[in-house]
Amino acid sequence: MNHRSMGFSTLVGFLTIGLISGCANLMPPAPLLIEQTKVYVANESSNSVSVFDGKTFKPIGEIDTLNHGTHDLSLSRNGKQLWATNLASGRISVIDTGEMETIASIYTGNRAHVVTLTNDNRQAWVANIGNDTISIIDTNNYRILGTIPVHKGPMGIAFSKDGRLAYVSSQDKMVNVIDTAAQQVIKRIPVGANPHFLVLGPNGRIWGTNTGSQDLYIIDTNSNEVVQTLEVGPAPQQIAFAFKGTSGPNAYVTVAGLNKVIIVGANTEVPSVRGQIDVGEGPNGIWANSVGTRLYVGHTRTNEVRILDTGTNQILATVPVGRKPIRVVASK
Amino acid sequence: MGRTTYGQRSLLAIGLIALCIGTGDFNTQVRAELESVGTTKKGMGEFFIVRADGIEEKLQGNGSLPLYEGDVLKTQTGSQALIEFRNGIQVALNENTEFTILSRWEKSNGFTQILRLKQGEVWVDTQGGPKPLEIETPVATAAVKGTEFNLVVAPNGQSTLTVIKGIVEFGTAFGTCPIKTSSISYGNRGKKCTNPKPLNVGPTVAWTNGIRQ
Repeated sequence: MNHRSMGFSTLVGFLTIGLISGCANLMPPAPLLIEQTKVYVANESSNSVSVFDGKTFKPIGEIDTLNHGTHDLSLSRNGKQLWATNLASGRISVIDTGEMETIASIYTGNRAHVVTLTNDNRQAWVANIGNDTISIIDTNNYRILGTIPVHKGPMGIAFSKDGRLAYVSSQDKMVNVIDTAAQQVIKRIPVGANPHFLVLGPNGRIWGTNTGSQDLYIIDTNSNEVVQTLEVGPAPQQIAFAFKGTSGPNAYVTVAGLNKVIIVGANTEVPSVRGQIDVGEGPNGIWANSVGTRLYVGHTRTNEVRILDTGTNQILATVPVGRKPIRVVASK
Repeated sequence: MGRTTYGQRSLLAIGLIALCIGTGDFNTQVRAELESVGTTKKGMGEFFIVRADGIEEKLQGNGSLPLYEGDVLKTQTGSQALIEFRNGIQVALNENTEFTILSRWEKSNGFTQILRLKQGEVWVDTQGGPKPLEIETPVATAAVKGTEFNLVVAPNGQSTLTVIKGIVEFGTAFGTCPIKTSSISYGNRGKKCTNPKPLNVGPTVAWTNGIRQ
């Protein structure tokens, strides 16, 4: 190749690059890459986890947990691992969400009920109802690093915003406050009958339901006292936080005794009931999508998940899942 | 029926192997719950096995009772026992000791035998080479890397690990310490395991002399 042709080639090269970059400026911006939202449902009587698409509501598959009595779920922050309790087996199933298969089975204790990942996702805490203990699992190597004795029948677990405290509801009508550094119960808070589900609310307080009665309670994590209670109806189950247009955040509470989701204002000092949504029989698990516009509600009696639009309070779709769906979680 | 060709037999063999691999993990896990994981070798004094269904069996003297996952093994005051797992790991129980036989399954690593030590003292010898064994205490886990060691759990959960030979990963919720030959480390609730200190380990395992004979 001589100098003349080299110069021509160089010119063509620059023109091409210029054309591409010029066109690039004229091209419409690429759409934001939105990852698929996967909804996971623990089916206690099918020993499985159903998976469906959170936007199209189409089934993706069903994962065998290789254990019995799949009950509660906790999803890692990156969405890659799903941790499931199995009441009957006393074991945890660790699920690879990419491969959609169980990759580990860990015995924690009699009647392994709920699992909650610590805020940094380095540990999984499991409540064993039959042993009155909390098992601490290293999420990296699946080893049990310690066992914390608690009071009768631990039911629910939630961590404070800073991770320094863990709250464990127990069947003796109490919430146990655990110092996560000392791994010891430092306080017991009286609540109500059969306290069950616990979750960290958007206000930094711990919200819980008294499934054996008709109310929810809110615990301040500074004073470790119940600062509010609110009657919502018989057998309240789980809570998710979402928005209705400009209104919110609201707490959406599944109330099994009413077959309703009760809407509670969560953005005021004193919470109040703001509305209710009729759903199917036996609403239990509830989860909001990451932007707080959809709710996924599991129905234990009809083996389905109903998707609610929080803007209109209407049911958008009904997705059949496995038998006795208890817990619903979704990826971001 | 005509005779199968070499090619047909090969395809059949490949198919069977694929079937075994495809269903192996689940079957292995189920099998583990049904088959014995080891046997007792000797019991001195009061040595009990409480089966998962609550049935209690007692061993006095030499005897081979099968051990299953979920069994709880207990010794009373003044009693000792020796058991052996199928992979050759030997475990001696000192007096007033109680542990449960468990396991963890991982797709990538298969089964790890787990002893959940509630209280008391055990001596463990993996009998040549690394074997998948972990001992859980209320405050720590000792993951074996091919070794001989002694572990004591006090009533408050404090766990004392003495490594006779080899290496053990001793971990609490606050960190892991590799403990090597002739050294001791302590695991306490709410703390990282202590740095290993050198120790004359002979007296620590003197209690096993009788039961190992």
